[in-house]
Amino acid sequence: MNEDELDLLFHAMASQPRRAILEVVRENPGCNMNFVASHFEFSRIGVMKHIDVLEAANLVISERSGRERTLYFNPVPLQEVHEEWTDQYSRFFAGRLTHLKRMIEKGSK
Amino acid sequence: MAETTRAVFRVVINGTIDAVWRELTKQGEAQAAVFNCWLHAQALAPGRKMQMRTGSGKYVMVVGEITEFTPPTRFAHTFRFTQFDDPECEVIYDLKQLPAGVECTLTVDRMPVGTRTAKNMQGGGTMITETLKALVETGRPPLKIRLMYWAFGAMEFVLPKKSSSKNWPL
Repeated sequence: MNEDELDLLFHAMASQPRRAILEVVRENPGCNMNFVASHFEFSRIGVMKHIDVLEAANLVISERSGRERTLYFNPVPLQEVHEEWTDQYSRFFAGRLTHLKRMIEKGSK
Repeated sequence: MAETTRAVFRVVINGTIDAVWRELTKQGEAQAAVFNCWLHAQALAPGRKMQMRTGSGKYVMVVGEITEFTPPTRFAHTFRFTQFDDPECEVIYDLKQLPAGVECTLTVDRMPVGTRTAKNMQGGGTMITETLKALVETGRPPLKIRLMYWAFGAMEFVLPKKSSSKNWPL
């Protein structure tokens, strides 16, 4: 990933509404704009603008289906960042720690 | 009828469209982008059967039928893991030349929800696109993938007998 692509990715992810939109798209592959907008109180235009930012970062892929845009979450850019910033060893130990964190937090609820 | 879903994976590769196309369609050698399997086909044309076999040729991992073959922009085929009894899905590779490189979109269509096929394809899609990018840009897969392929080769004997090539004539 080049610096411009990284900027687009981190800009897209640095917004709570966009992360929430991404979660809706991830959970509902092939959903359309109206479906996504129904999950939020802000306007459909607002949702469209957020989706354009997510699409520019390659996190959302939209396909034309007649007059509709169907939306899909693309996990590849996040995987690229993960791999760029970790190596075999740090991935192993960081993975152990996040696993431990999940286990403890799950148990304490 | 089982509920199905669709997954889409996209990456931009700094290379030529012909180089990307070659990695996805080459025969007679391992396809490092696609789990190091070897592509075997009656012919690379719509309606012809294809398989992805292990390097030794003893096991068939995937069987399918080519649904579209339009060099160098689209390769599509049906897809079924021989080790699972899940319904088939369809794998589509779309390549598009952009100023910044080649946009490669992998679509997995009609994935049967909640099956092992769906689980494998969700993880596999990211791995294929990422490895394809590394292959075209650097000439080889990342270290973790090379280690995994080494393990695949060493552990081939654990594959189920139902995946034996003897059971899947082309």
